[in-house]
This record gives sequence, structure tokens and C-alpha cells, in this order.
Amino acid sequence: MDIITAHDLSVGYGRTEILGNVAFAIPEGRITTVVGVSGSGKSTLLKTLAGLLPPLGGGFEFAGRPVDYRSEASLAYLYAKIGVLYQDGALLNGLSLYENVALPVRMHYPELPEGVVRDMVHAGLAQVELADSAGKYPAELSGGMRKRGALARALVLNPHVVFCDEPSSGLDPITSRLLDDLLLRLKAGFKMTLVVVTHELRSIARVADRVLLLNDGGLRFAGEYADLAASGDDFVRTFFLRTNDHDDT
Amino acid sequence: MSETILLPKILRAAEIVRVLSEIDRRTVDGPLALDFRDVEEFDSSTLAFLGHLADRLPGVTAVNIPEALARAGEGFARRPDPQWPERPGPAPAGSRRDRFLQALADRFVNRWRVLGRFMALLGDEVYHIGRYLKTRRGVYPGETWNQMFFMGYRSFPIVCMLLFLVGVTISITSAEQLRLFGAESFIADLVGYAMLRELVPLMTGVILAGKVGAAVTAELASMTVLEEVDALRTMGLTPEKFLMVPRLIAITLVVPLLVAMADASGIFGGMVVARVMFNILPRAFLDQMVNTVDWTDFAWGLIKTVVFGWAVVVGAGFKGLSVGRSAEEVGRATTESVVLSVTLIIVIDCIFAFVIY
Repeated sequence: MDIITAHDLSVGYGRTEILGNVAFAIPEGRITTVVGVSGSGKSTLLKTLAGLLPPLGGGFEFAGRPVDYRSEASLAYLYAKIGVLYQDGALLNGLSLYENVALPVRMHYPELPEGVVRDMVHAGLAQVELADSAGKYPAELSGGMRKRGALARALVLNPHVVFCDEPSSGLDPITSRLLDDLLLRLKAGFKMTLVVVTHELRSIARVADRVLLLNDGGLRFAGEYADLAASGDDFVRTFFLRTNDHDDT
Repeated sequence: MSETILLPKILRAAEIVRVLSEIDRRTVDGPLALDFRDVEEFDSSTLAFLGHLADRLPGVTAVNIPEALARAGEGFARRPDPQWPERPGPAPAGSRRDRFLQALADRFVNRWRVLGRFMALLGDEVYHIGRYLKTRRGVYPGETWNQMFFMGYRSFPIVCMLLFLVGVTISITSAEQLRLFGAESFIADLVGYAMLRELVPLMTGVILAGKVGAAVTAELASMTVLEEVDALRTMGLTPEKFLMVPRLIAITLVVPLLVAMADASGIFGGMVVARVMFNILPRAFLDQMVNTVDWTDFAWGLIKTVVFGWAVVVGAGFKGLSVGRSAEEVGRATTESVVLSVTLIIVIDCIFAFVIY
């Protein structure tokens, strides 16, 4: 079953269209990677799907319900079902890691006893192997730790879909692989749907079930990762050729 | 008469400069040949120099170009347009007068849009405060206290010191005029009235704009640039509520305290001058003052300052939450926020003057 279905979707900023009239589906319980060269509209598409940037045209459905940007209720429904891992984590600097992860729980369920919140936060941080750093502030964490902490925050309310904006960018290969493993564990263990924006070919080869390849303001390829090799499109082959050269997985 | 310059083995930017000056120094008219046969080491400046010869120096020819240089030059064949890197814009439509009027109209419409967005934010904040007071949800616990500490405790020394000095200044400057009419005793009336009604609200508002407004804008703008505001939104929180409501409640609660202390400081400043210059005892000064000013003067000053405080925080939040994605916009937004807040304070003060007097 598809959890997100986009039809004739155009995205961009102001009057500048970055991606025009694309149609695709994101299946439930799998990892879909959104790939493309820099400036192809990957992050812009992710922002639109995450309810942050109104589409310039067309629209999309989330869990069978059309997302209406003019309706607060529609956006609230979307936000309740998703988690977002931002490129630099976007942890609130004034709060400790514990408080950051506890934030969505406290805000949405203020009646929950602090003991329950504490256990939820601990479970989330343990999942990303950061339970020992709960008292630290974002400025005291490394880039990889910040991203893992942000992932814990995105996961703490058990969203249906997690959007990850370039999770491997700026990370060393070991930390990057750790994050990939984490995404695979989330998919296997919790049947979570993940939409990962990236251009790290190793990461794509490791985690992707499906691929959306963006280029020249459109969708160049949408399908199974396994079908990429059979694609007759020169751009698709050129883009992914490096995967085979560098793949050591 | 033809002349030839034999180029050196290493031909890079420094050597090219020497060759060009040699070409300029040439006294003999007629064609000139640059002999590249010895050139072994070259870089992109050499390739650009070859292109320059072809385009700009028609009387100069390049001969004996080594194969390696010619091969490298092939990759350099796509040369930029003469206008590059200027971005070619669309051809201007209409007459100069039409374009001027169009630009003026666009500017006017943009200003109206900005005003509309500002008023919408103000309306949102009133709604969010109402909702928060009713439901007590959507704001981080303890944040209002943090903001009160920052806006009140951290601001009160500077507010008191400046208002004391304003009290001193207004007394000294008016003292001479009052002395001319033998009306020294009215200094207490003047200081009390001016401080409570006008100077304390205005000065406190301006200090808040510089201290609180700039800090709020810088913080919110940084959060916007670092995607923290987006993160709040996708967590299902409303940044306009989560970030702004504690600040608005804090400013509403601390302003009365600030105003009371600022009034006291300003009047004390006037009292010191009265004692020193006119030998008016503090008790007499206060007795004289309370004959002229009453609690409505204090109340109007208080109301004005609360409104100024709101203008500062809403203006600062508006600027902070409207930035784009670049770090430089944080600085620009902070500056604009202070200008906006001070402008709003003066405009609102002017409106109050019509209403009160």
C-alpha cells in the first residue's frame, strides 16, 4: 500500500518552480530514497511532503487523505503522522538533548507523568545509542550525535513516516554507516516508512528499496532500486554507475 | 616589417604579464609573432592568453604552438560571452516613465503586503495568547519565567540608570528657563508630568527595542536559519505560539515593574537637581509634584509602555520569523527589527498623544 501519492505535483519557492508536474507513490514500510544532483529539488520536495512548503501546483495524498495546505486540521493530521530529520539536526540549542527529545511528548501529551516521558525519552535515546549523553546540550555534541539525537526526537512519538534530509552529509563513513544501519533497523523492527533525501551513492545502495531520481525539473526514474541496472536511460546509468564502482557493501 | 618574440619555457601568469608589457613597448609597427616552441609548462592563464591574442590583439599571431598546449586549448574552446558574468536580464518593457511607475507601484504593493503580514501576526498572537490562557498548552514550561528574567531583571539596571540621567537632564535644562520667571518650585511639576506621561514610556520603549527586540529577532532568526522553526512546525507545534507567547506574556508582566522603577529613577534624578540647584527639599519636591500629577498619569504611562513592549516583541518576532535561509539575513533582520520597533513606538506614541490630550 502507498502511504504518499503525488499527482502533477510542482514544487518551488515563490514563483520559481524547481520541480514540475511529477507523479509518484511512496510505499508503506519501505525506504524510498530521493536522489539527484545538487539543486535538482530533493530538499524542496521533502519540505513540501513534510507540510512546510505549499506546492505550486498539483498535490499529494497522505494515507489516502489529500493534504490541504490551507487547512490547519489537514496539516495537523500530517504533522501528527510524520517525523523529520533535518540536515543539521535542528535540535533547539537552548534545551538539553533530553529536553529536546522530550519536547514533542510534553507538548502533545502534557498530562503524561514525567516518569513516562522519562522512559520514552530513554528508549528513544537508547535506540540511537545516545542515552549517556542525555544531559548534554546540542553545542556539546558532534555532528553525528546531533543527527542521531534529532532522529530520536523525530521517532519519539512513533510516526508513520520519517523524512530524512541528507542524513549522511558531513559525516565520516563510520558514523554514516551507523545511521544507515539505524534506518534499516527502523524499517525492519517497526515497519516504518522512510523517505531519505541523499546523494550518497553508498548509502543509497545500502538502504534504498525504491528510488526517485530527480533531474532537470522532473522525475527521471521512479522504481525499485533493483531495477536501476536495467534502465536504458543514460543519465540514470551514469548517475548510478559509481554505485557499482564504489560499492563495498 | 615582421618581428618575433620567443616565449620562455615556463609561461604562466607572471611571464604573460612580462610578454604583454613587451608587446606594449614594441616600437616597430607591423605584424608580431609569438613563438611558443619552447613553452613546456603552462596553465589556464596560458590558454586564456591564447584566446586573448585571437580576440584582442589582431596584429599578433601565435606560432609553433606545442601539441600538448594545443590539446589543452581544445578543452578551453568554450569561451564566455563578452557580457559574462553579468546576468542577462529581460529586456526592459515600456518607456522609462512607465518602468518608474511600475517599480513605484510594486514597492507600494510590497509594503502593503508586509503590513498585512505584520497585522496578521499581531492578530495570531492575540488569538494564541487567548488560547494559551485558556488551555495552558503549546508553550514550553518555564519559558515565560526565563523571558521575564531576561526582559525584566536584565533590563532594569540600564532602564533605571538612563531614566535617572534623563531626569537630571530635563531638570537642568528646564531650570534656567524656570528661574527666569521665578518659577523654580514648578520644577517638580514639570519633571513628574514629563516623566510619568512621556519620557519614561518613550525611553523604556526605545531601550526595550534595542535590548529585547534585537535579542528576540537574533534568536528567532537564527532558529529559522538553522531549521529549528521548521522542526517545531513538523513536531505539530506552532512557532508563532511556542516562541512568541512566552515573550509577550513576559513583556506584559515585566513592563509595569520596569515603568515603576523607571518613574522612580527619573523623579529621583529631578529631585537631586532640585535639591542641589534650588535647594528644594525632597519632601517639598514630592508634595509639589503630587499636586500636579495623579495616578492617571502613571496609568497612561504604564498603558503606553505595555503597548510599546508589545510593538517591540511582535515587530521583533515578525522580523525574526521572516528571514530566509542565509546567515547574513540574521544581522539584517536584527537591524531592521530595531528600526521597525522604534518607528512603531513613535507612531503609537503620536496616536496616544491625540487620544490622551
